[in-house]
Amino acid sequence: MNHADTIVVRVVAIEQVTPQIKHFTLAPAAGGNFPAFSGGSHIIVVMRGVNRIHRNPYSLMSSPGQLETYEVSVRRMEQSRGGSHFMHDQVQVGNELEIAHPVNLFPLDKIARKHLLIAGGIGITPFMAQLADLRTAGVPYELHYATRSPEHCAFGGLLSEREPGRVQKYYDCTGELIDFEGLLSNQPLGTHVYVCGPAPMIEKVVATARERGWPDSHIHWEQFSAPPVGDAFDVYLARSSLKVHVVPDQSLLESIEAAGVEVPYLCRGGVCGFCRTKVVEVDGTLVHNDHFLSDEEKASGKTIMPCVSRARCSKLVLDL
Amino acid sequence: MLITGIKSKPVYAPLQPDLRGRYHLMVGHGVGGEPLLRVLGDLQTAAPSSGAHTQILYVTDAAAADSITGQIRAAKVANVRLFERGDELLAAFQAVLAGSLMGTRLYVAGPESFMGLVMRIALQFNLNKDEIRAEECGTLARRVYCIHCCSATENVRTNITQCGCGRWLVVRDHYSRRLAAYMGVMVDAEAPGELPPVKEVFL
Ligand code: FES
Repeated sequence: MNHADTIVVRVVAIEQVTPQIKHFTLAPAAGGNFPAFSGGSHIIVVMRGVNRIHRNPYSLMSSPGQLETYEVSVRRMEQSRGGSHFMHDQVQVGNELEIAHPVNLFPLDKIARKHLLIAGGIGITPFMAQLADLRTAGVPYELHYATRSPEHCAFGGLLSEREPGRVQKYYDCTGELIDFEGLLSNQPLGTHVYVCGPAPMIEKVVATARERGWPDSHIHWEQFSAPPVGDAFDVYLARSSLKVHVVPDQSLLESIEAAGVEVPYLCRGGVCGFCRTKVVEVDGTLVHNDHFLSDEEKASGKTIMPCVSRARCSKLVLDL
Repeated sequence: MLITGIKSKPVYAPLQPDLRGRYHLMVGHGVGGEPLLRVLGDLQTAAPSSGAHTQILYVTDAAAADSITGQIRAAKVANVRLFERGDELLAAFQAVLAGSLMGTRLYVAGPESFMGLVMRIALQFNLNKDEIRAEECGTLARRVYCIHCCSATENVRTNITQCGCGRWLVVRDHYSRRLAAYMGVMVDAEAPGELPPVKEVFL
């Protein structure tokens, strides 16, 4: 996916749903309907700041059956490199933004006999659209949703209303924890588990499911990493004969794009593998932050996912 | 004119225990008893307490030695059920799957056409490749689906076979998991009665 095929959208509503989460409703600026999508899809929102372009992935939350608008929720990240702050502080109703077409890296299994959804905090977002699909699918499902407190439980009321008896909420403040062991020990054959939330939650669910004998083909997780802040370094693009400086709060991918070189991407969160780039030379260490490369590939130092990874070095040479 | 090289032909491999599973369900027919006993032995050596979570469903037939049946009957597992007919086993198998939990591994051994019928049920329960181990043994005789009259002929050993509808079919390597059968296509549609040599190929 590249930058040419974006859709210009107008922000038609903004709602503060929790102290940290804002919910945005977008409509195509040119009128008409958005492209169809399936639950679990995300879009990349392109934000043109004063001297920076941010491109952040957000899960679509609206119902796939309704294409007049798309909805996304954005959590204000404490250590934002700007994208979430831009959405929270700059974007107003009536503004225009660009988005890339939806891509689904977290689809529901089509022949599952039961769906078990587990969400933590902002990880509820991909499930909102999946639930819209599930309500009409006729396959059993249940959602377990953990948040800090009722105040932080985005869409909690809406979920209880739409999914009577199928949603269970857990609040950290009252010490309620999801019983992963119990939950994953008693599911009928043909169940698929989906988890989206903070990294420790995903790790716990995946490890517990495996330990309870679940095969990998029934375990699904989604976690978009935000590119972490790191040290500044220089990158040389061998084929383009360019030298690019990467500042601490800009990702490698963003820096390369700012220099006018395009790298294919889908997720910008270290998940899809599209931005995979060959490393020609590095005089220090690569800092891998993706969930795509295997441990061996990371250790070999031959490839890097520039959307989330960087280097601790003075010189990195990439095959771009 | 056997049409080969078609990817849908199932792939089978010698049974290995999958120690990541919590429950083990072993299903076999006739000569499939031997590989089941072998994998059961391997499983119990590697995980001595696994017997409490293991079940065996087995169809006895003339092709298997009595000693195999005896050993299966005596296996130290939670449940052993012997059947005289494949369809009885399939009905029981379906009922067992309906009550099974995630974490179950399926081991299947027997003639290919039996395996296909087992796999078809497993598919209905959304068992994926990483939950099933299958070893084909015994006859390669195929279950052939006539694409013209939509009926299946069991135990086909030849490249060309006559369907109950009277048509002569060439047996393709195109396998349908949903129908648990190989596709049979009319062979003499252009020149009725002109058949290529009929050979025993699925032995
Ligand atoms: S864009 Fe998906 S891994 Fe980098």
